[in-house]
Amino acid sequence: MTTNTLVYIEINNNKIENVSKEIISHVSKNFDDTSVCGFLTVNTTLSESLFSELRQIGLDKIYIIQHEALKDFNVEVFSGVISQLISNIQPQVLLMGATVNGRELAPRIAANLQIGLTADCTDLKIEDNMLLATRPTYGGQMMATIYSKTLPGFATVRPGAFLKRNFPEKNTEIVYFEANFDGVYEILNKTEILSTEYKPQTDDWTNSDIIIAGGLGLKSKENFEKLYKLCDLIGAKPAASRAAVELGWAPSEIQVGQTGRSVSAKLYIALGISGALQHMTGISNAQKVLAVNTDKNAPIMSCSDVAIVADATAVIEALTNKFS
Amino acid sequence: MCFKILVFVKQVPDTTDIRWTEHNTIQREGLESVINPYDLGAVQLAKNIKSALGDCKISAVSMGPLQAKEALKEAIAFGCDDAYLLCDKKFAGSDTLATAYVLSQFVKTHCSDFNLIICGYQAVDGDTAQTPSSLAQRLGIAQITGVTALKDICNEYSVWIKDTSAYKQEIKITHPALVSTTLKDIDFTVPVNGWIKAQTTDITVLSAGDISAETSKTGFCGSPTQVKKAYRPVIVRHTELIEPDNCEEASNSIVSIINRCKEQDDN
Ligand SMILES: Cc1cc2nc3c(=O)[nH]c(=O)nc-3n(C[C@H](O)[C@H](O)[C@H](O)COP(=O)(O)OP(=O)(O)OC[C@H]3O[C@@H](n4cnc5c(N)ncnc54)[C@H](O)[C@@H]3O)c2cc1C
Repeated sequence: MTTNTLVYIEINNNKIENVSKEIISHVSKNFDDTSVCGFLTVNTTLSESLFSELRQIGLDKIYIIQHEALKDFNVEVFSGVISQLISNIQPQVLLMGATVNGRELAPRIAANLQIGLTADCTDLKIEDNMLLATRPTYGGQMMATIYSKTLPGFATVRPGAFLKRNFPEKNTEIVYFEANFDGVYEILNKTEILSTEYKPQTDDWTNSDIIIAGGLGLKSKENFEKLYKLCDLIGAKPAASRAAVELGWAPSEIQVGQTGRSVSAKLYIALGISGALQHMTGISNAQKVLAVNTDKNAPIMSCSDVAIVADATAVIEALTNKFS
Repeated sequence: MCFKILVFVKQVPDTTDIRWTEHNTIQREGLESVINPYDLGAVQLAKNIKSALGDCKISAVSMGPLQAKEALKEAIAFGCDDAYLLCDKKFAGSDTLATAYVLSQFVKTHCSDFNLIICGYQAVDGDTAQTPSSLAQRLGIAQITGVTALKDICNEYSVWIKDTSAYKQEIKITHPALVSTTLKDIDFTVPVNGWIKAQTTDITVLSAGDISAETSKTGFCGSPTQVKKAYRPVIVRHTELIEPDNCEEASNSIVSIINRCKEQDDN
């Protein structure tokens, strides 16, 4: 039996969020026999470039809800109209990115439709036509696999948890959904954004091909500077353990793990990182993990693909020489 | 007119101190319980409002076993005026949908004239951050998720700062409303007499019947989400251990792995 999966295509600043594409990638590869549909909200006509991109992200069908009231994100308004769409098309699986907006939106939709929701998942699969969603819990010390007695099976997915793939061309059908917008302006009047200051965004590094992370074994902030330089030479992105972030050696934006980011790199190199569970859950979807540690018995040495017993700083220096 | 604030608090196990049984389940006995760190941030914001407005009452509310009275006493010691514990066997095992239902029934039956609800952003034992949004939906009120500071307040509205990694916003919200806060690890000094007040203030304990909750919507049975299995994560990778004689050899191995990764990229 085919499962119908509906994915929220989140658009910010006229760009499709990576996590939406990551979800579609995972679903099309891992859910047997599923049709993947997307939906999005906009306030005006979509730009041509966005239209053509939407046809290239592996969707069978996309539902568009277009209304001027959808200009700025308002969780009450968005959850109301999205709930209408879901009641109307009744998918078996509903997925959204656990972004700032997604984490606020999903529980309101779930409460509105009185359905179960599993938040911030790092793995999803279908068994007997049912969504099984896995997420870290208890501060990353445990994993829980959760299903729901209600339909659709509903989950939000951690950005970076899945690898983004290239999609084959698809003949994506485009459908405009007419939602009921009664009372929407009264809702909008209850909250008013007085000012917004966007912060400069480092481009999303979590799904770059090669990530080189440093931990306490790097010993100093200066060595992190050397790590950044090496990354530039290789075309890799730097990352850090929480312990290194807490000491101020690296910025919190590049922390990997349970309370940091999840990565899905092709190659993750961990330099001087012990391999605490909270760190490892963030790299469970990396294709290859290479650890460099002076301690042969450090936990990470038995849960990497390649474990090299060596001094991290010396390795950085040697690599820098080789790639210069 | 008295400004009424409800602060929802949860008692959580101290997740920095988890021990495992031989069956890889969490050893619950002897696990320290603490007030969820984000909920202390919520109490702090409520106190800020009280000092700004003067005529203001802060009620702390928790759903949980009788033991959760301790967390509520702590909330009183920190400056809440009174406290309610929603406690019923029929609430046990509630997921977020069922929890938000119970909390909303309390609000509807006991303090429907509230002005503001403040919650912690998430509970550290579940990290789901769902309950505030779910509750706001049940009550049909506006919300702001993840506020970091109060800018301005009067009885009719408040202005908040929301500071995320992507942006910083100033948002005005009309009451009644709900805000959740990412403030945590507040360095509280318990006000003079705080603990005395905590010992002498009665905590009102309410059952499902007291808040007119339909028990088909609460607890394990009323919760759509069910845990199929919970396990300690194991990372399965087949490790190739390399013990190079010198750093040159180590970096050669790494270079070849990097190059293989890049080649894989090209085709
Ligand atoms: C609720 C909670 C959430 C958490 N979330 C995260 C998270 O998101 N991300 C995260 O990373 N951590 C997280 N942690 C912290 C985690 O438990 C560890 O404390 C942390 O990951 C350790 O960082 P580290 O590996 O850099 O340091 P350490 O554990 O101190 O390891 C340093 C390693 O470097 C090695 N070393 C020393 N010298 C050298 C050298 N010269 N060359 C090579 N190797 C050397 C040592 O052998 C050791 O293995 C969390 C903890 C809790 C309680």
